[in-house]
Amino acid sequence: MQNVENEPELVRRAQNGDKQAFSLLVKQYESTVYGFAFKVCRNEEKAAETLQDTFVNVYRKLDQFNGKAKFSTWLFQIVTNNCLMKRRRSKLDEASVSIDSPENGGEDSEREGEGAPLHALVLLKHTPQDEMVNKELRELLDDAILKLPMEQRIVFVLRDIEGRSAEEAAKILKISVAAVKSRLRRARVFLRAQLQEYIET
Amino acid sequence: MKTKHERAVRCKEATKHVCEHLDEEMDSPRCRQIRKHLQECPDCTAYLDGLKKAIKLYRTIPNPHVPHSAHKKLFAVLKLDQ
Repeated sequence: MQNVENEPELVRRAQNGDKQAFSLLVKQYESTVYGFAFKVCRNEEKAAETLQDTFVNVYRKLDQFNGKAKFSTWLFQIVTNNCLMKRRRSKLDEASVSIDSPENGGEDSEREGEGAPLHALVLLKHTPQDEMVNKELRELLDDAILKLPMEQRIVFVLRDIEGRSAEEAAKILKISVAAVKSRLRRARVFLRAQLQEYIET
Repeated sequence: MKTKHERAVRCKEATKHVCEHLDEEMDSPRCRQIRKHLQECPDCTAYLDGLKKAIKLYRTIPNPHVPHSAHKKLFAVLKLDQ
């Protein structure tokens, strides 16, 4: 993420109703928000929905931002909350589907609700054989991370993929540093076990 | 000579510790003990390497770009100029 020059001033202008300043903030952070949402939900459509919901919330709540935390920390509080809400809504949808048609319940439908494999992503190698390996690997990585509870998944993405500190992750999620470490440990142990076969070959 | 039980407890502690503090400085007395254990225990070292490899695999996936349609819709919803 690049630093915006004089970001506090830009935020202040946006808070005073300056549309151009708000537009600059959105342009600055839209790829960060989309990228994070994509890494969490592994699905283009859900990531786009999260992107939109997040900036609508940012627009509505901008006057509540008091500048005590970094703007990016506040933004991540909103995007992670949206990811959690989306997961809860998705569970409610699944529950209502299973009441109407119990034969559609179970693990497979839950996985489908999480989204398709990362077909949009391209890894580094490009020969046909390597692409097949990459596709298998991507599916393996997707399958593994999508099995994680959302709370652990968000911590894993914040800490191990985005490289944010335990303290910042704690601020974003409004939980203790010890809770961040505990969730991260469980996520790492789980993912390592899921990828065991690939790691050992 | 350590008993099997002592070794098992130490491995459990070591794996829990490296899971929580994988990318942090390991300078406290406890961290030094864990590091010493890792040097002496091939099982825990292999476990730690596996953890690092799993995380590295996730980091190899490049950042996706915002699809043009998503960008366009976002700016339309927010009533902002493109």
